[in-house]
Amino acid sequence: MQRHRRFIAIAVVFAAVATPLAASAATAGQRAGVTISFMEAMASGTQKPTLDDLTRNFEQTHPGITINLIAEPNYGVLQQKEQASIAAGNPPTIGQAYENWAAAYADAKAIVPLDNYVNSKKVGVPKTFRSNIWKGVWNDLFLPDGKIWMWPFNKSDYVLFYNANMLKAAGLSVPTTWARYATAEKKLTTGGDWGESLDTGTLSAPANGTLEYLSIVRAFGGTWIKNGKPTLDTKAAVQALQFLDDLKAHGALQVGTNYPEQTALGAGRSAFAVSSIAGYPYMLAAAGGKFNMQVAPLPAGPNGGQGNAMAGTNIVIFANASTAQRAAAWQFMKYLSSPHATAYWAIKTGYLPVTKSALVYMKKYIATHPYQKIAAQALQYAGGNPPYAWWTQAEGDVAEAMQAVLDNGASPASALATAQQKAMQAASNP
Amino acid sequence: MYLSPALLVFLVFTIGPALFVLYISFFNWNLLNPSLSRFVGGGNYSALLHSSDFWNSIVTSVYFVGATVGGSTVLGLGIALLLSRRGLVRRIARLAVLTPYFTPLVATSIVWVWIFNPQFGLIDSLLRLAHLPEVGWLQSTKWAMPALIVYTLWHDLGFTVIIFLAGLATVSGELREAARVDGANYWHEVRDVVLPQLVNTTLFVIVITTVDSLQAFTQIYTMTGGGPLSATTTTGFLLYQQSFVFYKTGFGAAIAVVLFVVIALFTLLQLRLSRRAT
Repeated sequence: MQRHRRFIAIAVVFAAVATPLAASAATAGQRAGVTISFMEAMASGTQKPTLDDLTRNFEQTHPGITINLIAEPNYGVLQQKEQASIAAGNPPTIGQAYENWAAAYADAKAIVPLDNYVNSKKVGVPKTFRSNIWKGVWNDLFLPDGKIWMWPFNKSDYVLFYNANMLKAAGLSVPTTWARYATAEKKLTTGGDWGESLDTGTLSAPANGTLEYLSIVRAFGGTWIKNGKPTLDTKAAVQALQFLDDLKAHGALQVGTNYPEQTALGAGRSAFAVSSIAGYPYMLAAAGGKFNMQVAPLPAGPNGGQGNAMAGTNIVIFANASTAQRAAAWQFMKYLSSPHATAYWAIKTGYLPVTKSALVYMKKYIATHPYQKIAAQALQYAGGNPPYAWWTQAEGDVAEAMQAVLDNGASPASALATAQQKAMQAASNP
Repeated sequence: MYLSPALLVFLVFTIGPALFVLYISFFNWNLLNPSLSRFVGGGNYSALLHSSDFWNSIVTSVYFVGATVGGSTVLGLGIALLLSRRGLVRRIARLAVLTPYFTPLVATSIVWVWIFNPQFGLIDSLLRLAHLPEVGWLQSTKWAMPALIVYTLWHDLGFTVIIFLAGLATVSGELREAARVDGANYWHEVRDVVLPQLVNTTLFVIVITTVDSLQAFTQIYTMTGGGPLSATTTTGFLLYQQSFVFYKTGFGAAIAVVLFVVIALFTLLQLRLSRRAT
């Protein structure tokens, strides 16, 4: 009995001491704020210092929130690190993710939907802000369940780089339709020069050429997916691949690897190159001032259809984050998409602003870099990776169809039928 | 007792992961959330046996392994015989043959991608000079594998040459001299005296280069990505593609197990042949 009394007395004393200690610890925790980690691949060139700047500015304006940037050298490593950290049960708070990565993460219950944050009256974004986000970018934030799982960050799309000197010498204007583009390429294919080079990519690694083709499919009125299934062998898709095959047969299109479009344009051997606007500094370096390199929007399809492929990533919040971390992460994500921040990011890195209103803050920059406005406006109709985990394989199947046609003599219809069959198989066996 | 630290490291980093690969090969494994993984028994192995991609990769592997092992053994032996005599020129030649082996695979693969480039590459420039048509070496299903084999031989030949040179150093000089005294010419001396004494060395070279070739990855990844149209997708590359590009982890694990069994059987065969030869 005496032992029991002693135990109760000790327990009471412990409770009396521990409760205020715990309370003061919690208060100290709030005062200390919340730390979140951001796994990203913005580690090269001006990207790193710019993201550092934005992060520092956010921390100054949001005392109590600390951001730890975890920089990875490229997207491949980023994906591996994110997946490894999820598998190990220790993911970062937020991370960059392509749409099909996000789909796989959501399937594994590794990320959380953002609807509650986006639609929140207190911390969400007003409707005016939503309509301010480029349509293509906004559409890109959803997964097939209709929920918002991603928030936009670094976006780019495809443009037409051209050698203005070659066009001028041939008396050609910049083509505004794919038909005129083909005529121009054929006319410029003379004396050892040619229209353009592209990399078809492979099953494991689609390349810029794959996305050029997919952009043409859209411009020709086609789709990549419909009702959650691949549509790789539509009439428009066959026409688009036939279009490229005709150019190849004429010698106007050459196929290569390792950014051949950049090499050929830079060497003054090809007149055109279709590539991501994020590659502008590399194109400029390849041209090296030898000629006047300019940028135009991708040409339109036969009925004026516009097609473009959106590149770059969004940000997701991982499910292991605490409520406080998620709230802080949302503040940071919202900040990165704010007109000031996204304009600063675009000016410094060459990526595109994710909102239309950011262009207001970029007037001076756009005056000297008009290509940024051209590329930004294309975000209106650019399509991102379809948000399905199987799209990774379907896109590879498209690359294989291009290889079959452009380098190995297959017909577009049969090559795309094979691609469709494989993609359907991948879609039905996720 | 003295072996236990080494044994522990071996268990944790080699045996443990290998057993885990065997385990997940029986599941439709969810890499991101293992709790969502589903037991499928031999389903992955059954799918493997019915997969045209897998059988194509076997044929591709046999092509690649046969050409690289045959090429490196024959060329390695030939070059070793040429370089086995003394002299400054031969020493420099030995160094030249060995140097590519010490270069990083990724870096030299990229250099060879440019050598094979149809518009700007060295080989097609020479073809154009000779008024011959351009070849898309790495884009053509017909030429991509030979191009890959040429690169692999260029890179790895130095290793087999060194092994054969070491083997030649152990060949009895007295026997060779006796053969010459008996009137054997150089070819007879090599065929009847040298080669019989190099059986173990040759078997060693064949096994090592076979295992290396079955595991070849870097040059395939860098130069062709397994393409065009899977023309260079060996079984080792298919394993990577299925496991780490398409995230079919259980299926990839089944490929790894089959590849392990093939390599193990081949090594056992070599050991048996080696014992019989000695």
